[in-house]
Amino acid sequence: MNKDKIFKLAKGFRGRAKNCIRIARERVEKALQYSYRDRRNKKRDMRSLWIQRINAGTRQHGVSYGNFMHGLLKENIQLNRKVLSELSMHEPYSFKALVDISSNAFPGNKNVVFPPKKEGISIVV
Amino acid sequence: MASASVTLSLCSSLATHSRICTKQHPSPTFSLSNNTYLNSLSFSSHKLSLSSSSSRAFPLLSKSSDSDAAVLESEPGPTEVEAEQIIQISPEQVPKREEVFAVVMIGSRQYIVFPGRFIYTQRLKGANVNDKIILNKVLLIGTRTTTYIGKPVVTNAAVHAVVEEQGLNPKVVVFKYKKKKNYRRNIGHRQPNTRIRITGITGYQDYPAVTLDS
Repeated sequence: MNKDKIFKLAKGFRGRAKNCIRIARERVEKALQYSYRDRRNKKRDMRSLWIQRINAGTRQHGVSYGNFMHGLLKENIQLNRKVLSELSMHEPYSFKALVDISSNAFPGNKNVVFPPKKEGISIVV
Repeated sequence: MASASVTLSLCSSLATHSRICTKQHPSPTFSLSNNTYLNSLSFSSHKLSLSSSSSRAFPLLSKSSDSDAAVLESEPGPTEVEAEQIIQISPEQVPKREEVFAVVMIGSRQYIVFPGRFIYTQRLKGANVNDKIILNKVLLIGTRTTTYIGKPVVTNAAVHAVVEEQGLNPKVVVFKYKKKKNYRRNIGHRQPNTRIRITGITGYQDYPAVTLDS
């Protein structure tokens, strides 16, 4: 890559990394390596984020993430984790229906997890 | 109040699709059931009414804003007056439309689709612009009152769409480097995509519906 492109990509870097071509080239190359790597890592990061969101959604109904997914598997519901997390955030009633189906399919998950008690908050606020 | 005004002004900037989201608020069923749902969590009611309104508006905003920003030119300086006008107009112009969404599978990826919006999918080979396509693999359909959950698909349901554009994603710089080996590769890549606009969701009425018991 030529100098102009390097400096264009180095905009906003700290210290001499944005002004000196030798250092800027090093830092830009390293940055592009990171971005190559992190395009792959992004997929697992997002998946773990979706799982956390689903877990937060299901625990409001007293079901853990693992048992919820097991119930969906038994019912052969093939929604992926991206869609499930979006449903849990934006479509609470559809998500509730999914949790009900899941807990009916796998009754062992009932009375396992208790929803977090948040009684203290209403008193404080 | 600040958050409410922000959502309103944002809604007004999205000319057509704001009607959908503004239409939701006056409906009595939503507000009632929202309250019960949130009271079960036992927060204070005032804070929750704010957060619930923003959470209802936010999905519609986020989905429409990243998708519609390219097409609809946002009006400069939307004010609350405009938003109020839209609210007043919206029940008259869109009296019968049901709020309905579907989860549809396109090429091993799942998308939540709403009629009237567009989505970017991976390139659909062999599709030309203005082709009408029917997506059969519908995994879930949600309406205002009921949810149809496919096991694994909602039979006979179909999502109708129109191919709008065969385009390319933004460029990605693929830079490969191995130290001490004098190895560098700098390749640009643009993944082909297809923009489709969802025109309708049909055929789900016969499927056994799930309604909440409570």
